[in-house]
Amino acid sequence: MSGTSSTVSADQHYVWHKPHFIESLWVRIGVIILSVVYLVYALSTLEIDFQRVARGIPRAMQIFSGAIPPDFAARGSLIVSGFIESIQITFLATFVGVLLSIPFGFMAARNVTILPVYGLGRAIVIVARSLHPVVLGVLFVKAVGFGAVAGVLTLLIYTIGFVGKLIAEAVEEIKYGQIEAIRSTGAGYFTILIYAVFPQIMPRLIGLTMYQLDINLRASAVIGLVGAGGIGSTLNSAFGRYDYGTASAILIVMIGLILVAETISGKLRRFTR
Amino acid sequence: MLEIKDLVKSYGSGEPVLKGLNFSTEGKNLTAVIGSSGAGKSTMLRSINRLVTADSGQIIFEGVDLLKLQGKALQNARRQIGMIFQAYNLVDRLTVMENVLSGRLGYVPFLQGAFRKFPQDDIDHAYQLLKRVGLSQYVNKRCDELSGGERQRVGVARALMQNPRILLADEPTASLDPKTSELIMELIANLTEELHLPVLINLHNVAQAKYYAARIVGLRNGVMVFDGKPDELTDEHLEKIYTSKDELSEQLNPEMETAK
Repeated sequence: MSGTSSTVSADQHYVWHKPHFIESLWVRIGVIILSVVYLVYALSTLEIDFQRVARGIPRAMQIFSGAIPPDFAARGSLIVSGFIESIQITFLATFVGVLLSIPFGFMAARNVTILPVYGLGRAIVIVARSLHPVVLGVLFVKAVGFGAVAGVLTLLIYTIGFVGKLIAEAVEEIKYGQIEAIRSTGAGYFTILIYAVFPQIMPRLIGLTMYQLDINLRASAVIGLVGAGGIGSTLNSAFGRYDYGTASAILIVMIGLILVAETISGKLRRFTR
Repeated sequence: MLEIKDLVKSYGSGEPVLKGLNFSTEGKNLTAVIGSSGAGKSTMLRSINRLVTADSGQIIFEGVDLLKLQGKALQNARRQIGMIFQAYNLVDRLTVMENVLSGRLGYVPFLQGAFRKFPQDDIDHAYQLLKRVGLSQYVNKRCDELSGGERQRVGVARALMQNPRILLADEPTASLDPKTSELIMELIANLTEELHLPVLINLHNVAQAKYYAARIVGLRNGVMVFDGKPDELTDEHLEKIYTSKDELSEQLNPEMETAK
């Protein structure tokens, strides 16, 4: 180690360049050419009708001028009751959804279950995650009719998909030594889950719940547009009446509410670390 | 009381870690198990309370073959075997008291454990043990706020809380600094002597083994190569036990190690 490494000589030269992301030259060029060709093709089939766009501009101006100033007063009570319903949908769906996510999340964690249960847990979580809330909203409005019940069911499934998956990941990352210690006291399977696993995922669970409240509040507005109750429904009917003043009032309150929710959930999540 | 017969264990398809290990103990004393890393010390201990499932052989504990037990019977056997871990293995986010009381989880029904409704006797016992290990001021402190030595004291209290018939300790002092390591060894030795509790302890440090143990067992490559009293353990025996030159010189010249 001593003699040769004491001096760093520069009498030898080496060639180095960063390795390419795609190693083969032909594959690399092929991917670039295919991407460009498809982009050109896709743009050419879009049939953008510039005359129609031009005719639309005055109509857009009309909507915007109708939206200013926002009109909080005319349908004030509708706006308030719409938001109250949205908040109720959000809290109910988040609370019940997180409670249901805990067993499904544990089932979907490979390190604490047997294979068949793991398969079932994963399947439930994947199915719950695979449908976008708007699609779920349409399904539930068809199934149980317009209104808040459809909204709660939609966000419930949405919550199980998201929180269930992240709980499963949290459970898979726990420290195994703590499980071994509780197991060696003679504790049974469910006692081990409650005593050794649950405390380890608790902070993540609280953080996730806060985050999911925030997400569900946004989503509750969107699913209202397809008839699943809450402020989204109020917004939809305001547009239907060409009542752009009320619509913009709703949008402003929505932005404000989400800002407040985000601030609170961010603060609470930091608090639980 | 505890008898291990022809114990074989391999992980995956590799060479067995234990190759027909035989060991038995009757007394109420402290037996130290020494050997290189990989000699099978941990596997031996963890086979006893079935954290590891041995491939073949027998482990007779108070007349019952532990390797044949399943379900509730296995849990009932485990609760009679206390264990202290090298990495303490406390539930970090729970309090000191919850961790000590967790030693009773093999005895209380599920809901009582889940809601921490332990019997009054257990709570009294836990307070006594915490006082004895010197942590009574930390009852409601979370374990991740404790130092290494304090954590291992909780680990000792948790194991004794089980009212075990035997105590296993897997390198209980290897994560601690030399001074704390001595304090913990002394605590384990004194407490188990008071309780007439037999102890099986894996030690990395031969000097500690000679000082605290009544009997020393040396493992090499999964078989026993030494079994005797501490003063019977000679340098020739150590040469047989330790595989590498480095480990051997570390054990033969402990003062050089500390000088580093």
